[in-house]
Amino acid sequence: MATYYDIPVGAQHISLLEPLHFKLTTDNEKIVDVEANVGYVHRGIEKACTTKFKFRQVSFVVGRICGLCSVSHTTAYSQLAEKLLNLEIPLRAKYLRILVLELDRIHSHMLCLSHVAENSGFEALFMRTMKDREISMELLEAVCGNRVQYDYSIVGGVARDLRPEVAQMVLKRLKELRPKVDDLIDIFQNNWSLSLKNKGIGAISREDAMRLNAVGPLARAAGVPVDVRNDTEDLLPWKQVGFEMVLENGGDVHARNMVRLKELLVSMKIIENVIQGLPEGPVVAETKALPEGEAVVRLEAPRGELFHYAKGNKTQYLERLKVKAPTFSNIPAFVEMFKGNEYASAPAIIASYDPCLSCTAR
Amino acid sequence: MKRIDLPLDRVVDEIGKFYQFDRHHFIVMNAVDLGDSIELQWFFSDYAAPGEVTMFAAKTDASHIIPSITRVVPSAWVAEAELVDLMGINIENAKKGFVLEEDFEGAPLRKKQ
Repeated sequence: MATYYDIPVGAQHISLLEPLHFKLTTDNEKIVDVEANVGYVHRGIEKACTTKFKFRQVSFVVGRICGLCSVSHTTAYSQLAEKLLNLEIPLRAKYLRILVLELDRIHSHMLCLSHVAENSGFEALFMRTMKDREISMELLEAVCGNRVQYDYSIVGGVARDLRPEVAQMVLKRLKELRPKVDDLIDIFQNNWSLSLKNKGIGAISREDAMRLNAVGPLARAAGVPVDVRNDTEDLLPWKQVGFEMVLENGGDVHARNMVRLKELLVSMKIIENVIQGLPEGPVVAETKALPEGEAVVRLEAPRGELFHYAKGNKTQYLERLKVKAPTFSNIPAFVEMFKGNEYASAPAIIASYDPCLSCTAR
Repeated sequence: MKRIDLPLDRVVDEIGKFYQFDRHHFIVMNAVDLGDSIELQWFFSDYAAPGEVTMFAAKTDASHIIPSITRVVPSAWVAEAELVDLMGINIENAKKGFVLEEDFEGAPLRKKQ
């Protein structure tokens, strides 16, 4: 007769960066059931955005939802407010939003990859990936003025223009980053030790990923063609600047690594195209209108589809703001990914999921 | 955004007729406190029609038991559990205590409690 063990992982655990709790039920070493608890850091941000802050201030508040994808929240909200105000922003501001979104994606993906390496027992690769990631952090600081919480997108455009010397610095540093990323792809693709911890581990099929409405690299690694950058040309000119969707078929930790690594190359290409084709003109559009009606915005954050809904009532305060983070959408798929795997594989699976509880609980 | 208004008792059937897991992506469920009632919203995108978002909307009273769509969209349990905590509504089979403590009293996103 099988003996089942309930093993708690988190809310504070060596393999978790986030306050997330799992109850893993195991049959000997094999995980047979999972319960997830994500409710440790609810901060009431949606409520605050409709009661404490005026609609123009909200872009700065939603930027505090997350330290990793802050610019995704500020951009999604700014686009939402612009829809409610019926405000068209300058093309230069759209290009600059893309620039910072892609720099942000580079640092976020590299953070995830480094933690997958660490949780797979490859400490040296963790340190190397984090060291290479530093280039993207320096560039974010140069472009936005901050390493985190950039407050770059604002209602009507962006908060600061790109100076020509900074643009040249971005191109130069990306040239330095490219061979480093090529080396990382080689290691993640071919290292034998890493393959034992990543290949065939934490796999989800294409059908399950679709059935459970997975988003982001997790879905694309299973072959689901879902990337909001492909759907929202009306808001930002993604295809003009060279966006291409990256898909893998394995659905496992290794496939998720490969999607993120290849997306680094796509992001670098997009940034180069943005700088080379940056239109002249202002970076912000002004209006004295007040938000009216309801609207939604979807934006591809580093972890997948970010969704903002707002309802305005022609006052300075919104009637309702709803934020749905990609980690939130991926919880059902994530729970399934554990099942059938060895308990020892749980840390690598968790890291490859790239959870963000700050975004999820808000 | 395409908006489809429905009476609450038809929501599960209509979403069931509309939703195909290999064609539609369930985004999230939302609720808006309108003062005298609560508007429930279910958002979907379409893999085949980039950029298109469909919203099903139904009004309800906070005391009603709201039918769950998990029988047609299994992954919706997460969004339903969140709204039970934050909006203080009752959804069929949805558990309390997902984003707040189980014994938390009140509903933070309601205007008047």
